[in-house]
Amino acid sequence: MALPETLRTEFDELCKKYPQGRAGLIPALHRCQEELGGWLSPEILTDCAEYFALEPVEVYAVASFYPMFFLRPVGKHVVSVCRNISCDLRGAQEITQAAEQCTGASCGSSSEDGQFYLEEVECQGACTNAPMMVVDGKYHEDLDAEAVTRILGGLK
Amino acid sequence: MSSFETYLLVRAQLENSHTLEIARGDGAYKAFSKVLETSMEPEAVTEEVKKSGLRGRGGAGFPTGLKWSFMPNHETDTRSRYMAVNADESEPGTCKDRVLMREDPHCLIEGCLIAAYAMRLEAVYVYVRGEYRLPYDRMQAALDEARAAGLVGQNILGSGFSCEIHMHKGAGAYICGEETGLMESLEGKRGHPRPKPPFPAGFGLWGQPTTVNNVESIFNVPFILERGADWFRTLGTESSPGNFLCGISGHVEKPGVYEVPLGIPARTIVEDLAGGIWKGRALKAWFPGGSSTGVLPADTLDTPMDHDSVKGAGSMFGTGAMIILDETACVVRSALVLARFYEHESCGQCSQCREGTEWLEQIIARLLDGRGQSGDIDLLTDLCNGMTPGKTICALSDAAALPVLAALRHFRSEFEALIPAPAEVST
Amino acid sequence: MIRITVNGREIEADPQKPLIAACHSNGEHVPHYCYHPGLSAVGSCRICQVEVKQGERPARVVAACRTPVAEGMVVNTNAPAAHDSRRECLEFLLKNHPLDCPICDKAGECNLQDYAFDESQAESRTSEPRRTLEKRKDLGDVILLDQERCILCSRCVRFMDEVPQTPQLCISGRGSHSVVETWQDSPLTGNYQGNLADVCPVGALTLKDFRFQARVWNLSRVPSTCSECSRGCSISAEVLRDGEVKRMRPRPNEAVNGYWMCDVGRFSEAELNRSDRLGPAALRNTAGELVPAELDNALRVVRNLLQTHEAPLILASPYLTVEEGQAVSELAAACGAQAAFFSPPANDLADDVLHTGDPCPNRRGLEGIGLTAMNAEAWAAASAGTDCVLLVGERLLDLLGDTALDDLPISQRLVIMECRRSDHRAVDVAIGVPNRVERSGTWINVDGIEGSIRPARPAPQGIRSTGDLLRELGSTSDRTEEALSS
Repeated sequence: MALPETLRTEFDELCKKYPQGRAGLIPALHRCQEELGGWLSPEILTDCAEYFALEPVEVYAVASFYPMFFLRPVGKHVVSVCRNISCDLRGAQEITQAAEQCTGASCGSSSEDGQFYLEEVECQGACTNAPMMVVDGKYHEDLDAEAVTRILGGLK
Repeated sequence: MSSFETYLLVRAQLENSHTLEIARGDGAYKAFSKVLETSMEPEAVTEEVKKSGLRGRGGAGFPTGLKWSFMPNHETDTRSRYMAVNADESEPGTCKDRVLMREDPHCLIEGCLIAAYAMRLEAVYVYVRGEYRLPYDRMQAALDEARAAGLVGQNILGSGFSCEIHMHKGAGAYICGEETGLMESLEGKRGHPRPKPPFPAGFGLWGQPTTVNNVESIFNVPFILERGADWFRTLGTESSPGNFLCGISGHVEKPGVYEVPLGIPARTIVEDLAGGIWKGRALKAWFPGGSSTGVLPADTLDTPMDHDSVKGAGSMFGTGAMIILDETACVVRSALVLARFYEHESCGQCSQCREGTEWLEQIIARLLDGRGQSGDIDLLTDLCNGMTPGKTICALSDAAALPVLAALRHFRSEFEALIPAPAEVST
Repeated sequence: MIRITVNGREIEADPQKPLIAACHSNGEHVPHYCYHPGLSAVGSCRICQVEVKQGERPARVVAACRTPVAEGMVVNTNAPAAHDSRRECLEFLLKNHPLDCPICDKAGECNLQDYAFDESQAESRTSEPRRTLEKRKDLGDVILLDQERCILCSRCVRFMDEVPQTPQLCISGRGSHSVVETWQDSPLTGNYQGNLADVCPVGALTLKDFRFQARVWNLSRVPSTCSECSRGCSISAEVLRDGEVKRMRPRPNEAVNGYWMCDVGRFSEAELNRSDRLGPAALRNTAGELVPAELDNALRVVRNLLQTHEAPLILASPYLTVEEGQAVSELAAACGAQAAFFSPPANDLADDVLHTGDPCPNRRGLEGIGLTAMNAEAWAAASAGTDCVLLVGERLLDLLGDTALDDLPISQRLVIMECRRSDHRAVDVAIGVPNRVERSGTWINVDGIEGSIRPARPAPQGIRSTGDLLRELGSTSDRTEEALSS
């Protein structure tokens, strides 16, 4: 049983917001990922399927559509560097390089010590404060290589 | 630069503007209360919004009042009705809605209440992109305050009018900013846009009548009801009235989100507000309203920032998010960055978009990698013409093709320069 | 119904159905991948482009599967703009599609091949690497998936969701990284998997059973009816040059099976190709061995047996047609025999989709002409009470079971008119008959709807039709006595 009772109770409340409970699925998957180890394991997807009266294959199809959901284990700290146009124009490539150097992870994978998962992402909506990265859900903007090293170094 | 009236970001200047206490002290919920107290006819509210000429601020510029009026006659169609507020804000370059939700959530809530009243809605769902944590949290906190104060929920302020407003999270898909993709995602499914017809007003969330509006569009509504449609029309231009939030990014000294009237010359924004091109450089190219509008050359900078003028210049107003490229920028590189984006974001339903976005990226990547072939530019043009206009379920295919066509139209030589000269053939 | 004009011809269109359905039901071809008349329409493949003009609005190119019909609509399926759109769409689909035609089972009935030919989309302008995905993904006993060939039309996903209503397939991922797959690569289950190979417009989902078995242009197809239950799904039986039935596929029939058939029926062809067929005739020789004989001789012997024994029992196979059942009845009347048809027990395959659980394809037909159903117990009792038994029709020995003949009294005379050879000591005369793909006739299904079986190939050399044989057996006995006395 991957879904603890506390989350199920939370989902009961969540689904009341909608005339059809399935609408709670994506918010529920966010909560699962936040509370149950940072990724959505097959057990979690199966339990969610059972909760929402769906087949596991249907929940999997939904989860796999959205890049914010990880279907494999990822490092402890998730570092997402924006690679879209406003950031690219203001040095996003240097930010990525600095992040790779500091974390020891290459883009799209976790560091060997499991401390970091590094990825490039598309526009995060912080264009006027480019370049930027998101670390564990928090926005860090107006970056340079030094700032990246300071921020990520502080997490080691 | 002559000064102009502002209203969108005025309250946001106050400390703690996101709290009910400060917001209300600044006049939040006055417009909505007036609507309730004067028992204004719901249809009259829609008329006022129509009269104002407000155009959607999400990128399409469709008249908001007109969209509201598409909701079916409530006497003959008694199904539950909904509004989804599109806070998915994923158009590259665009970062204005987050400011509004973060700094003045009560104004957005008030706009939702007025819209709900006008369209006789059962509930409003604010669909926020999953990455926007602080804006989401501020909105949720503000909703909790409003609910506690009797401003949201059952029998609001004792008026008999009830309206539920709920927050909802996305999970990282640009295509969920498309109104039918948003609805699919909200229903807990993959964000696959729906073919139209049927249109959301007839078949929307859970098959019920639904209107989808952008955050900034709804944000304007309390001001229109408070100060009147006539006041609104004193700002902006005849066909694009009101102010808008211009997020200007890229190669400028002071990137930022600035409130300006529609119709203001792009040059004014770049030079007077954003400090001009950075590092003392010259302008090479600019996007008027987000990446999907396609690039314009430097000699168009005097174009007024309104829907008709930008269209006349050969692009689109879009979200009003200006992206600036200086003389050292490589247009082909920008084309690649964008091609990668659209390839990543295509939902995959339509053959032209799924395969075309990948193909465009592959060709442009080869060009930049020194492996361009002589037929590549014509091929790019042909492929783009196969992806647009109107050949697919939604406009992402068009949004992917138009920037490439624009870059080729204005900067073809940069692409050509990347193609190696044919090797000498020994006779 | 409303009236619209398609390619210059005014036709009637059902307003409940999309424009493409109106075109198809009036013989106007519109290419399509994701659209299927038996499934929901999603409008995603974008190939069904036609030009439409409505009133004063300028003509525009639309996807016909998601366009509602409107009174006065003028449609041109051959407009240059429509062809251009289709050609573009095809080029995009072919860009990543593997060059598998030489080894792909779908060749010859592949919509990608066919439309590329129709639209003259032959030249490839891509030099980009094609997507590398799983090419022989095992989805269980029935289906093999080649993800590279898949054009992501989602028909397979929608089929599982909407027809057997067991969601098992999904499109996962997004955009050009989408693939079709099952949950955790688990095998497909259920009795309707074979339809996936039919709905797949290309060679992505194929039948393991048919893999590399034949080129479809070498198959001759005959409309017929499935034999495996009383639903009587309309099928086409497809036979390869040398006479083997290579596959059976459903035929659209709105009143009976829609567009589908179950796997039990679909994969029942092996039995039709068995090599242990009974020859035209066999009799016991003086040494007691069952050896080939002249058919006329054998018929004479059988006629004599029927005439000289009191109350013989004629048991018909449940696979006999109405016409053959009629002949059984008449023969029984002519020789005072008891006639019945064997009624196998219900099985547990009945479902909400097609299978009725009654393995007898012509119960209503045979009962309708007065033959009683005889189950295993009744057969045991009846066969014990007679000295002469005539078993008529295919698969009867299989249905009765191996030990059934063991229990027959030694004194009893047993004639079999069967497909399957049997040398059992109880058999006195054996006459070969055609099986259900070698003869024609009528079966009546559970709802009283008539279905025909048709010969997809000739019966083996020397084997005559069951009806003819039965009628000869019932003809005047004078000739028999004459023959015996001569």
